[in-house]
Amino acid sequence: MEAILKGLGLLLEWQNILLIFGGVFIGVLVGALPGLSSPMAIALLMPFTISLDPVASIAMMAALYCAGTFGGSITAILINAPGAPPAVATAFDGYPMARNGEPGRALGLAAVASVFGGIFSLIIFIAATPLLAEIALSFGPVEYFGLSIFALSMLASMSGKSSIRNLIAGCIGVLISTVGVHLATGVERFDFGVSELTEGIHFVPVLIGLFAMSELLTQSSTLQDAVRVMSAKSLKLPTFAELKKLKNLILRSSGLGTFIGILPAEGSTVAAMMGYNEAKRWSKTPEKFGTGHDEGIVGPEAANNAAAGGAMVPTLALGIPGSGTTALILAALVMHGFRPGPYLITETPELVYAIFGAMLIANFAFLGIGLAGARFFSLVTFIPKRFLWPSVFIFSLIGSYAYSSAFFDVWVMLISGIVGFFMMRHGFSPAPLVMGLILGPLVEETFTQAMVIHDSSFFQFFESGVFLVFMVLTVISLSSPFWPKIFKKKK
Amino acid sequence: MSKQKQKLNPATNLVAGLVHKIDLIVASILIIGGAFMYYEATLFPAAPNILGDTLNADIFPKMLIVLMIILACIIPFEIRFMPEKIAKIDKDRSVSLEPITWKTIVLLITLVSVAEFLGPMVTMFVTAACFPLVWGEKNYVRIAIYSVAFPLFVYFVFNKLLGLFFDPGVLQYLVKPTN
Repeated sequence: MEAILKGLGLLLEWQNILLIFGGVFIGVLVGALPGLSSPMAIALLMPFTISLDPVASIAMMAALYCAGTFGGSITAILINAPGAPPAVATAFDGYPMARNGEPGRALGLAAVASVFGGIFSLIIFIAATPLLAEIALSFGPVEYFGLSIFALSMLASMSGKSSIRNLIAGCIGVLISTVGVHLATGVERFDFGVSELTEGIHFVPVLIGLFAMSELLTQSSTLQDAVRVMSAKSLKLPTFAELKKLKNLILRSSGLGTFIGILPAEGSTVAAMMGYNEAKRWSKTPEKFGTGHDEGIVGPEAANNAAAGGAMVPTLALGIPGSGTTALILAALVMHGFRPGPYLITETPELVYAIFGAMLIANFAFLGIGLAGARFFSLVTFIPKRFLWPSVFIFSLIGSYAYSSAFFDVWVMLISGIVGFFMMRHGFSPAPLVMGLILGPLVEETFTQAMVIHDSSFFQFFESGVFLVFMVLTVISLSSPFWPKIFKKKK
Repeated sequence: MSKQKQKLNPATNLVAGLVHKIDLIVASILIIGGAFMYYEATLFPAAPNILGDTLNADIFPKMLIVLMIILACIIPFEIRFMPEKIAKIDKDRSVSLEPITWKTIVLLITLVSVAEFLGPMVTMFVTAACFPLVWGEKNYVRIAIYSVAFPLFVYFVFNKLLGLFFDPGVLQYLVKPTN
């Protein structure tokens, strides 16, 4: 109780409230701008938060994360260009509804469904995080190694173009994390005589490069694309009777989204698509889907925002990110000197409650900001790309430089961006690479400890029941991309 | 069949009807890169005997590289069991890179190369002026306003409000320090 009061008390300081609202505003803004995304904004923001209060910084990023998921729906509905991948499913019915002359109503439905989804998942988040952390506290290095392998294996089923490529990107991420001095032996690894590399490759410039620079290069070829914006003067909130009709769908989608969010590596995009499909499957009027149907907006919106809260559960309780964006929040926790995982809730419980509070405030704040600023956010899409993306580059440059006041990091950012751009062209997603990079040190550390404990015998790991369970789950996860084919053949 | 359609058909990218041509190149790059990293890992000094074999610094990276190479070997054959997914990837990469993308890459490398000499402040001004020009902006008044206003805004927010140190760079030769 004391920790809850302390955590929420931290949030009530005016500077922190201001930062949370700032995070919400930035989140909705970047979500609304096609090409810009909340992971990119968090990556860009991270170095600048070093000088801020750690709890406030993390709370701000958590608020940005929540709001960014909703922000993506604004452009999905108004211009049929989802600002972020989780909003893709919202466009299926949101855009037709806007074209039918009801853009405000479409935005209102999306906002209310998002708030409900978000609050539902936060209740689960606050209830499940301490429980999961308590279980994880009994884990030794072997069990933790099993858990991190399972989390990495989930990259195979992560939303992307190819499971194999996701796994390779994850391996590359882990490999990058091995650069620098090996803490156990003091051996310098993969430094190629470059003194800056002995400290390792900082993850912040890599994240900025992968999320911001590669997108900048992608956008460079779409400078001429015309944008047709629907004018939405304000949100039109659904009536009580409409909400009553949609309540079962909202609850179902919120539950589904939270569950998917909790699974390591599964993010809001998968949740939104499943939310849409399930809404259609349960609907009494499935034929209306795709023509601007209420349920086609509410289903994916409740699910994708619920996934945001769900994804925080493994991130904070286990130190295993639930999505690409939570991988960045995990990175921010490490940067601010916190210890992600079960010890976070035992050592700094106020932080967990502060994050909970920030996300709760964010859910109501984006409803308010959306209500007041729908017109503004629909107008930001008019910012010419020729000025928007140079600004992103300037933020990337200053952000990567600011991290350790070294131009070497600016080069790391640029190289990551260019390599990331070419990788994306060939079907490799940046999110698995980021998750590999963040999880890498944990995997190696627990592997080394486990090997020492078991006298270098890997097979002794299987004496642990928990490890065995994680290995079975790993096999299931790795084979999951082939299931549809196998089941199809059997049918 | 149109040329574009032929390009999007994954079957046209097959070598000997077995492996994907472009993915074969991608896999080769990964395998060569992996082999090089593996070789590098073999050069790591061994840990002192007291620490035992398992603590050697090369074990974990080597395991990882081997796994990556095995996965890379599957890439050219992915088309055999996931033709729809590879068709989607082919759709993206079938469009050749536009000259503006190459120009942007060159511009980015140039800006980062001179950033250390110019310092962050001047680099911001140069970036804000050059980028829109290279990207075809013709409204010079707009460029002038943007190239002055935006860097000043960034400087104000990050230096004055957040206390971030901006290396003076070339400015130290131009602006005399005041006592």
